[in-house]
Amino acid sequence: MSEHHEPSHRSMRLIGRATAACLLLFALAYGLVATAIDYAFASDPLGPRVFPLGLAAMLALLSVWYFFSPGPAEGYPSGRLLLRVLGIPLVMLAAVALFEPAGFLVSTFVLTFGTALIFGAPPFKALLGAVGQAVLWWFVFSYVLEVYLPAGALFGH
Amino acid sequence: MNLDYLWHGFAVALTTQNLIIGFIGCFVGTLVGALPAIGPINGIALLLPIAYTMGLPAESTMILLAAIYCGAEYGGRISSILLNVPGDAGAVMTAMDGYPMAKQGRAGEALAISGISSFFGGIFGTIGLALFAPILSGLAIGFGPAEYFVLMVFAFATLGSMVGSQPAKTLIGCAIGLVLATVGLDPTSGAYRFTFDQPELSEGIEFVVLVIGLFSISEALIILENEGRGITVIRELGRMTARMSDLVKCTGATMRASVIGFIVGVLPGTGASVSSAISYTTEKRLSDTEGTFGKGDVRGLAAPEAANNATACGAFVPMLTLGVPGSGTTAVMLGALMLYNIQPGPMLLTERPEIVGGLVASMFVGNFILLALNLPLVQIFARVLTVPNWLLVPGILVLSVVGVYSTNSSIFSVFLMMGIGMVGWLLRKAGFDMAPIILGFVLGQITEVNLRNALAISGGDVSILFSSTICIVLWILAAAVAILPAYLARRARRRALQAA
Amino acid sequence: MSNSLIKAILGAAVAAFAFAASANAEPAKPECLAGAKPGGGFDLTCRLAADALLKTKQIAAPMAVTYMEGGVGAVAYNHVISKRSKDGSLITAASSGSALLLAQGKFGHYDENAVRWLGAIGADYGVLVVAADAPYKTLKDLVEAYKANPADFAIAGGGAVGSQDWMKGSLLAKAAGQDPKQMRYVALEGGGAVLTALEGGHVKVGSGDAAEMVKHHMAGKIRILAVMAPERLPGDLANVPTAREQGFDIDWPVWRGFYVGKEVSDADYDWWVQAFKNAMATPEFAKEREARGLFEFKSFGKDFDERVKKDVAQFKILAKEAGM
Repeated sequence: MSEHHEPSHRSMRLIGRATAACLLLFALAYGLVATAIDYAFASDPLGPRVFPLGLAAMLALLSVWYFFSPGPAEGYPSGRLLLRVLGIPLVMLAAVALFEPAGFLVSTFVLTFGTALIFGAPPFKALLGAVGQAVLWWFVFSYVLEVYLPAGALFGH
Repeated sequence: MNLDYLWHGFAVALTTQNLIIGFIGCFVGTLVGALPAIGPINGIALLLPIAYTMGLPAESTMILLAAIYCGAEYGGRISSILLNVPGDAGAVMTAMDGYPMAKQGRAGEALAISGISSFFGGIFGTIGLALFAPILSGLAIGFGPAEYFVLMVFAFATLGSMVGSQPAKTLIGCAIGLVLATVGLDPTSGAYRFTFDQPELSEGIEFVVLVIGLFSISEALIILENEGRGITVIRELGRMTARMSDLVKCTGATMRASVIGFIVGVLPGTGASVSSAISYTTEKRLSDTEGTFGKGDVRGLAAPEAANNATACGAFVPMLTLGVPGSGTTAVMLGALMLYNIQPGPMLLTERPEIVGGLVASMFVGNFILLALNLPLVQIFARVLTVPNWLLVPGILVLSVVGVYSTNSSIFSVFLMMGIGMVGWLLRKAGFDMAPIILGFVLGQITEVNLRNALAISGGDVSILFSSTICIVLWILAAAVAILPAYLARRARRRALQAA
Repeated sequence: MSNSLIKAILGAAVAAFAFAASANAEPAKPECLAGAKPGGGFDLTCRLAADALLKTKQIAAPMAVTYMEGGVGAVAYNHVISKRSKDGSLITAASSGSALLLAQGKFGHYDENAVRWLGAIGADYGVLVVAADAPYKTLKDLVEAYKANPADFAIAGGGAVGSQDWMKGSLLAKAAGQDPKQMRYVALEGGGAVLTALEGGHVKVGSGDAAEMVKHHMAGKIRILAVMAPERLPGDLANVPTAREQGFDIDWPVWRGFYVGKEVSDADYDWWVQAFKNAMATPEFAKEREARGLFEFKSFGKDFDERVKKDVAQFKILAKEAGM
């Protein structure tokens, strides 16, 4: 448990308050967009706006409640661990951006190699694992499950 | 009682294709149950889009998902016993006596006994489900929009007992789910809502995008955070079969736990974690005369395992008969039905007997498959526990991306899934549970549409929501499930204070 | 490999290509795009075409059916226009519902002139139904009763306001001299839900399509009061009069057909038209069509293109009259 520590009561309260504030803002924005829903006319007495507006009001009230009684939270990681955790969505972002242009094999290699390194795999093992996974999944999806995947410019048409 | 649907169901479940699908589901389920990092929802979330894209019919997909769900309840015990880390929420109590047994060199015996009690719990639960399912289908025709709306109110009321400790967060989660369900084409007025002129959003947020984002993506990040917590696998399994004397000793515990487990499963809002805890404490109170519980008593191992398997079956009762999901996992299965344009609810058994029947029948078959997988083959799964995370997590991420992409060949959905995954991670770290979000999302559109249709029929007169007997009964039930748990908890607290 | 051999192969390839381009070529990889999930009407249209073309040997290789869900075909429409406008091997399923959405401007920035309409291969027809125990035996009974007490008549259909089912309901309301905006319309999910609502007595009138309702009509669960076709339909519905026969000028054909990209060559376009014409002349096609509950409906090429544009214009008027 080297990088772990229980969050203090104060930081838990802070996390709760910050989350509550974000939710309140979200509820207000959602309600605002709901008032502008465009429709010719509705055959039912409520129409398409009323239900979302009710939800916005409910979410706003609940956020206020949450703000004043935040309750326990797990807390976010910090330092190096935070960087590693954020690394995963970044690697995913790169891999997904490559998915259609470069094809499944390249994209999957980037994804599996990148995340394996973040998880602390030895580089050579990570490389082997990534190549193996890319080929294995390609085979499973294309030939066993017959799921369509982009081949990419390198391999396909 | 009319059990025709069940015989019809066996015809569905025993086709070669569905047997193979059931076997795969049992295998994958045991696997995800055994891996401490991923639970049944992740297994279901990852395989659902693939089954859907492969064009499997609805009943086959449901058989697959149910097999994964039941398999996970079996598999969860493996890591509880060998790692002292529960594989899923229902296996927490299994470690109480299972891990001490393993430390005494009796890991193989513990796996065998818990496998057999899992089987009894599972079969008992499935029989209960088979008998319960047809009871409510006679009511079906009386359900109009007003009744459906009140039924949904009842479903939301059960949330109160679902996660009792932090009501604000549970309700917020549910509201977020409801909000997300309003995105897309409004089925009543035909207006586009919250689509921001993105054609990809015109049919709303896709269910698999939400589920995989909330569960699988955020899970990957949490696995990374929790890495490095000292875990050691017990490799010495010892004797692999159960002693007859031990089996006889825990017969009573297994029976009682099966009954408790099934009843808890039927009640919406409670799950395997509750039933295994109740059955464990019940057995401890009834038969722990020598103080052996917690030190490797076989009864303390058999009871929670029988209970969590019976609960998994019981949880299908409200889902299949009313369309009310009692847990995150059944909410995902309900969402899977809706992916196939099947309206869950009291009509399901009448309209699609092959789905309900096939599902129930496949659970009978599945428990036998699971028994076979979990007794002679349990060592394979025990070895899976040594798969390093750097190999496992990238695999989960690949499955997530492909699963979401394959449903509609849209890269937009994959980005959306990642965004939802990040928000899900933030919320989880802030102490939110993801199940209420799924519940709100799955029930959101049914709730709104039926409310509006009821009012369209009555011309805006709200009294239609209270006009039929079914409505009134449902209102009373909703009030009861919303208030009762809080009342019982308060009474228990007061008693504890008096005792102290 | 020697240089001359490469040249020979290249030469043969070029020759083959030139030949292929000059003839009315059969596409190597024919594809039918369904703008929805598997299992819906677009899927059915594509599968009918794929099966019939293959069985009547108009195509050698099976036609692939692909799916692109979104906006009841809007996403597929935009995709074809922006990305595959020249692709002569792709046909995309459409229906009169697509024309209705085009008329309401719900297909994005593009109108009905942004694609080439290929042809229709079958049709369904709108029907109005009541519960089997309802007192109304004819459309006239229903209209009279509706006129007397419009607030009492909730009409259920399988689509939102502005959908085809809603439009059919609004035609009934108009026939009874009522404002369609005041109609108590209940939007349900598909014909099965309409049936349940009628049987449960939650609504009094259902609006749907003949193919879906006919089996419930024959089973005695509901009564079809009128079919919205120019002439009586064959088979089980031969005894049900048309709306016209009963004195109401209401037609609602739901054709099912295809379009291709705007820049598809005349050669490819004509190849598809001819392939469908050939296939539809065979008895196998009629069998496939009937198996999918569709009635005969033929319209191709220029004729069909004009029909779609006329439909869109007419829907625009109807929608305006209904207050959309």
